[in-house]
Amino acid sequence: MSRVFFLIREAMVNLRRNLLIVAGAVLAVFISLTLAFGALVINEVLRLNTLAWQEGVHVIVFLNDAGTAEVPADAHEALLAEVRSWEEVKDAFYVSKAEAWVEFQEIFEDQEELLKIDPSALPASIRIELVSIELHSSVQFKLEQDTVTVLRVSTASEQIEQLQILSRGLNVLGLGFSIVLGVSAVVLIANTIRLAIYARRDEVEIMKLVGASNWYIRIPFLLEGLIEGLVGALLAVLTVWVVSDRITEATASFAILRLDIGNNFIFTRALIFVLFGAAAGVVGSLLGLSRYLRDSEGTGPEIPTGIV
Amino acid sequence: MIRLEHVTKVYEGGTIAAHDVSLDIQKGEFVFLVGVSGSGKSTLIRLMLRDEPVTRGKIWVAGKDITTLPKWKIPYLRRSVGTVFQDYKLLPSKTVGENVAFALEVLGRPRSVIGPQVDQVLDLVGLSDKAARYPRQLSGGEQQRVSVARSFVNRPPIMLCDEPTGNLDPKTSVGIMKLLDRINRTGTTIVMATHDHAIVDAMQRRVVALETGSVVRDEQMGRYEQVQE
Repeated sequence: MSRVFFLIREAMVNLRRNLLIVAGAVLAVFISLTLAFGALVINEVLRLNTLAWQEGVHVIVFLNDAGTAEVPADAHEALLAEVRSWEEVKDAFYVSKAEAWVEFQEIFEDQEELLKIDPSALPASIRIELVSIELHSSVQFKLEQDTVTVLRVSTASEQIEQLQILSRGLNVLGLGFSIVLGVSAVVLIANTIRLAIYARRDEVEIMKLVGASNWYIRIPFLLEGLIEGLVGALLAVLTVWVVSDRITEATASFAILRLDIGNNFIFTRALIFVLFGAAAGVVGSLLGLSRYLRDSEGTGPEIPTGIV
Repeated sequence: MIRLEHVTKVYEGGTIAAHDVSLDIQKGEFVFLVGVSGSGKSTLIRLMLRDEPVTRGKIWVAGKDITTLPKWKIPYLRRSVGTVFQDYKLLPSKTVGENVAFALEVLGRPRSVIGPQVDQVLDLVGLSDKAARYPRQLSGGEQQRVSVARSFVNRPPIMLCDEPTGNLDPKTSVGIMKLLDRINRTGTTIVMATHDHAIVDAMQRRVVALETGSVVRDEQMGRYEQVQE
């Protein structure tokens, strides 16, 4: 118990004595993990919004008016039934000319000029929700074969695909970003620990002289790295959480994108980031200590003078 | 207690610091290693502490062959060997009492043991009244007394001293030697590297003289001067 108390006390004394260096390491972890965690949150926002956009109508088939010489009166119903039978289609519903006019009025209620058009000019349509967005081209191809009933086929697939590409890109970018920043956090902690060892070289030398084992010398430095990593990571997740919460709150009424990603996502990822911060601290400390304590069996000349 | 068998130490670059040195030091002996600077005194101390590996030969300390000692066991060797150096090696941020206690703290001794042992050893070196002072508030002689107290607080069977009076005036040096002599009388084996003629002559203990890394004289109740002849 006395040993544990002594080691913790040594770590605390070290943290207090090298406050500026410690602040540098905490800041490094904080900045790295804030950026990485921020990237993760932004990616989740995009993923959620992409998902949201994928829900609902994927394909709109505008129809020629029925009951004319070319188009039989039951052509619309027949096409709707056919579309519903396709395995690519999850759901399909019919929007009549009258319903299209109501919808048009709702969309363009502020634009009087547009409302002056002839309501009969608006075509009826079939709105289709696909089982999977990737199937849009095959459905579009099938629909375009019916040149009699089908006036035009419009899909939202292009925009969704672009968003998916953006999301995938952000995923890769976020991962790369996290790796680079994570490594830099580890290196910075390693550097801090080496500076701390250098600052305490007399103490370390004396510890060795009186017979302290290498692990006994290491533990206060490992604790120091652990604390630096933990504090940096906690500050990072707290910052991202608060900022994301504030932005969500402030934009709740007018945001086009859905910004509320949910506390569950934040908490589970935050836990991983805090654990990563702690691990980065310990790994950084081990790296910082390795050259000194691995090579040295002596007490003096191997004190490191360089930095990582 | 300490045995060196044909020990040779060659540093990188080819400098021979010890050449075929053989010594047998008995329990409770007080041995001076004498010689001019660069004769290999400090190297022998470092070899006995396993601060440096030998190039050739064997060294036994307290019955153990330390030349084949795995690195992780070196701290255990050092727990049975007290060390005193010319530059005291005290921690400026710790008080006298804390500096001495530090040697026991790193060994994980409980506080109930540390307190009385520190008091006892500070009493031995005559610094009981200065336990709360910092090293900078002490004279050189007092600082060396703290260093001796720290190395002896664990009651090691061996003490290795490398020029412990090198930074001290003659009068203060006598005080330190009296202290070491007192510790030696408790049965602690002491090996001391020095080039202080007066001390060696006054103590009249075993003298091992070195020249360019080789033992040129080894005599009981020796004197320093004979090395000069």
